[in-house]
Amino acid sequence: MYKKIGLAIAFSPRIEALIAEAKRLVLLFDAELLLIHIGVKTPELEGKLNEILNNQGLDQSHVTVFWKQGKPVKMLLQTCRDESVDLLVLGALKKEGLLTYYLGSVARKIIRKAPCSVLTLIRPKIEGEGFSKVVINGTQLEVTPKVIELGLDFCKIAGVQQVHILNEIKLYGLQMATAGEGSEEEVANTRRKLVQDEIEYVQQILNGLDKGNLRINIKVTAGKWSIELAKYCEVIQADLLIMGDNKDYSFIDRIFPHELENILENLPTNFLYIK
Amino acid sequence: MESLAHKEVINLLLQLASMLILARVFAEIAQKFKQPAVVGELLAGIILGPTILGTVNPDFFEYLFQSNPSANIALDGIVQMAVILLLFIAGLEVELHLVWSQGKSAINISLLGLIVPFILGFVFPYFFASFFGFADGERLLFSLFMGTAMSITALPVVVRILMDMNLFKTKMGMVIVASAMVNDIIGWLIFSVILSFMGKSGSLSLINTIGITLLFTVFMLTLGKGLINRVLPWINKNLAWPGGLLSLSMAFCFLAAAFTEWLGIHSIFGAFLLGVALGDSSHLSERAKEIIHQFINNIFAPLFFVSIGLKINFFTNFDFWLVLAVLVISFVGKIVGSGFGALRSGYPKKEALAVGFGMNARGAMEIILGLIALENGLIDEKLFVALVIMAIITSMSSGPLMKWSLKSNKFT
Repeated sequence: MYKKIGLAIAFSPRIEALIAEAKRLVLLFDAELLLIHIGVKTPELEGKLNEILNNQGLDQSHVTVFWKQGKPVKMLLQTCRDESVDLLVLGALKKEGLLTYYLGSVARKIIRKAPCSVLTLIRPKIEGEGFSKVVINGTQLEVTPKVIELGLDFCKIAGVQQVHILNEIKLYGLQMATAGEGSEEEVANTRRKLVQDEIEYVQQILNGLDKGNLRINIKVTAGKWSIELAKYCEVIQADLLIMGDNKDYSFIDRIFPHELENILENLPTNFLYIK
Repeated sequence: MESLAHKEVINLLLQLASMLILARVFAEIAQKFKQPAVVGELLAGIILGPTILGTVNPDFFEYLFQSNPSANIALDGIVQMAVILLLFIAGLEVELHLVWSQGKSAINISLLGLIVPFILGFVFPYFFASFFGFADGERLLFSLFMGTAMSITALPVVVRILMDMNLFKTKMGMVIVASAMVNDIIGWLIFSVILSFMGKSGSLSLINTIGITLLFTVFMLTLGKGLINRVLPWINKNLAWPGGLLSLSMAFCFLAAAFTEWLGIHSIFGAFLLGVALGDSSHLSERAKEIIHQFINNIFAPLFFVSIGLKINFFTNFDFWLVLAVLVISFVGKIVGSGFGALRSGYPKKEALAVGFGMNARGAMEIILGLIALENGLIDEKLFVALVIMAIITSMSSGPLMKWSLKSNKFT
């Protein structure tokens, strides 16, 4: 699935944990690892990196390190494009302040503009155990069938046990208020139908897919899907959220936040953005 | 504090009971014929008012609605509150994130669906003012009012039609809903400017009014929304549910309404914008929205719609040619405007026409708008009757016309 995995490194305190997580992915996907650092290459940093790679038992002949200089986001994305990276892994902080929200942090820009899928890890661990509880966004979007398919492929390879696919009823309050003009039975039927329609939508996508040994749970909510996804991830303590979108984002989407922006504003868990 | 006398209390309660009972009966009948409840409620008012009851049994009508001025003032207060609450839920229905996710087509359809009927509604009354019942005052203001009154689509009516036709979740359904939402916001922005020039609060200059209106809108949609996003989680967590949320949201609705009234733009605008800001908050659950809708839609909305019929004699104020002119302008403006917007957004002809028919439904908003204009002496009773009939006919015809235009077109 992913043959070239890129990892953005910044020599922060979490660098070793991020490399350890990337190594696990490289082994799972039988992929090549590319480490990308945007900044000046110094013997000191090089020594530090080699030490971490040795600690992690990474065979340096299978790891390529890129030292680039320039604007971080631009150079990182350029390297991903030049090297045909399939999956870019990066670390991110859980919550952003108001100022960085409007100015845009590095992680957000990368997620929006990357030419490949992006895995953002908010709690990388050296002794990590991989992903066990995964939530996939099943809301009705053009990309959803693709997101579910690739999300399940990822889960199968990563040895995930439980997958939750979350779909939401659009404008539930307004629809039910309008349906409230019917009898009690009609209202109950409408309510049932709204839920059933959303389950069927996901079920139809799942019907044509190989699910392996995955345990899949379809869950229907109401409200803004980004908020519901984040809430659900927190409630079940999911360790990965998978979603995708095919919209071009502009500054206006941040003044009037778009769904993706809601998620990025306060990442509930690790986040795989499928492109 | 003065209070109502024994007799007046009985009178007020009888008024409320008769209005609610008849509204319910006719709303049920309307729904049996697949028509929006608002059509039945308006009819109930016409029957209970001077048009039918006042003609058939004038003594009983007078006893019920004209014998106690104090009871009537109390009833008027309740109806005023109903209008504010109706605007509050109209705002609650607007979901900005849905509008953005529909992107350019929603903007195209809503703007063209607003501009074309607005221009037609402006031009004809401006040049044929006496035909449209313009008495005295500002002709420009009168024409601006007519333009706006032709432009606002009734979102709840459209949602019901789309749900009945199983089109709500389709691309076309979502784009119609989003367009109607944009339409609402812009329509009310224009109207609030017009309102500040009508009657009581005309002390501000045009620039000041537009400035204050825009400033208040921007404030509510940014800082106001931010504030709501901070307060709501606390309310949900620490106060009774849904009691705390219900009473406080009503309280803030009235506060916002009082604030805009104080600013010199009408109270309903504050209620509407608070609704928009509150409805857009992710912390207002869909269940809470449903509850707020239910109790306003089923108690306050019927009282308001019935009260319309109580105020005016629809028979003596019926002017066939005026009704026809208003109908033609409203149909042509909306269908051509929205339809053309949909066509520009890449919809095939039949679907574009269906979008135009869908957007053509008008309802509560035109009636509220007309009533305020009537109370401020900007329009006469004949034009008001024509506007109410226009709202009824566009609401009734929207669904069947959509079905007709999509007949040979299958949707999935």
